[in-house]
Amino acid sequence: MLNVLVVDDSLIIRKNLHKYLVKLGHNVVEESKTGAQAVEDCKKFKPNLVTMDITMPDMDGITAVKKIREFDKDVSIIMITSHGQEDMVVSSLKAGAQGYILKPVNEEKLAKSIGALFQDYNTEADDELLDDY
Amino acid sequence: MEKEQYTNYENEILVAILSRTISFLNDEMGITVISKNPEISSPKKVELKKNTAMIATGGSVQVLITMGYDDVLLEKLMEAFLEGEEIDEEEIDEIRESVSSEVINIIVGNALTNPIDDTVLNITPPILIYEAKSLFKHKSSKIAAATIKTNFGDMLLSIIGPKESFVNELNFKEL
Repeated sequence: MLNVLVVDDSLIIRKNLHKYLVKLGHNVVEESKTGAQAVEDCKKFKPNLVTMDITMPDMDGITAVKKIREFDKDVSIIMITSHGQEDMVVSSLKAGAQGYILKPVNEEKLAKSIGALFQDYNTEADDELLDDY
Repeated sequence: MEKEQYTNYENEILVAILSRTISFLNDEMGITVISKNPEISSPKKVELKKNTAMIATGGSVQVLITMGYDDVLLEKLMEAFLEGEEIDEEEIDEIRESVSSEVINIIVGNALTNPIDDTVLNITPPILIYEAKSLFKHKSSKIAAATIKTNFGDMLLSIIGPKESFVNELNFKEL
């Protein structure tokens, strides 16, 4: 089970990510609405994984990744993005994110991305989903 | 309908977005689209729906894209996004805004691709339009619009851009 910080300014995306992560057997430690809040929550909750939106008010996801990397080299970060934001995805990866998921996000995509990053953490449910690909 | 002085490149953008919208509504949201081939017009004025989101493209092609939803359609989209999850009364407005933004973000992001170099056009984050009733065409701009009719109300799509950008720069494909 992973401890996950969900970062997105969209309430519906936060809700759905939370739901999918719980169904996959993980624990959502907090939901952050902005990049700045994500940095603080990352210090406070020390998650194994962060799902990070790219475009947010206050502080964007790329800046948040850079700031998180200043104090945490280990946490895995997956960017949640749309087609049409490819330039920003590249910037995010350069800043220290390890992967990205293109919207619309669903349970299968999330399981696949998490599975790729955390092979040791795969649950049976994850494996069944991954077998479909 | 304005007499066409230029080729119908604006229609190509709208056709790509219409195609993606119809498949999104039918296949991913479970909303039946009644008008499979919506008529595309080039109006001087577009009456905006109360629930309207807008996105812009950047780079070699710069246009504005609006997507307006009837109340009942937006409610149905919210239901589909929530997948049966119950929400608190105080969350409804924020959920409505997020869904309105996410739908245009997903559809436009997936619909617009440059087939020549296989790159995806950059898009801005979506914004929501409040208290605006209509869009008027400026003399150097062009509007293409179409309405998608569903069994849960209508969706109004419009593309607004400078005429020049419709002539030389566009290379869209349907996905």
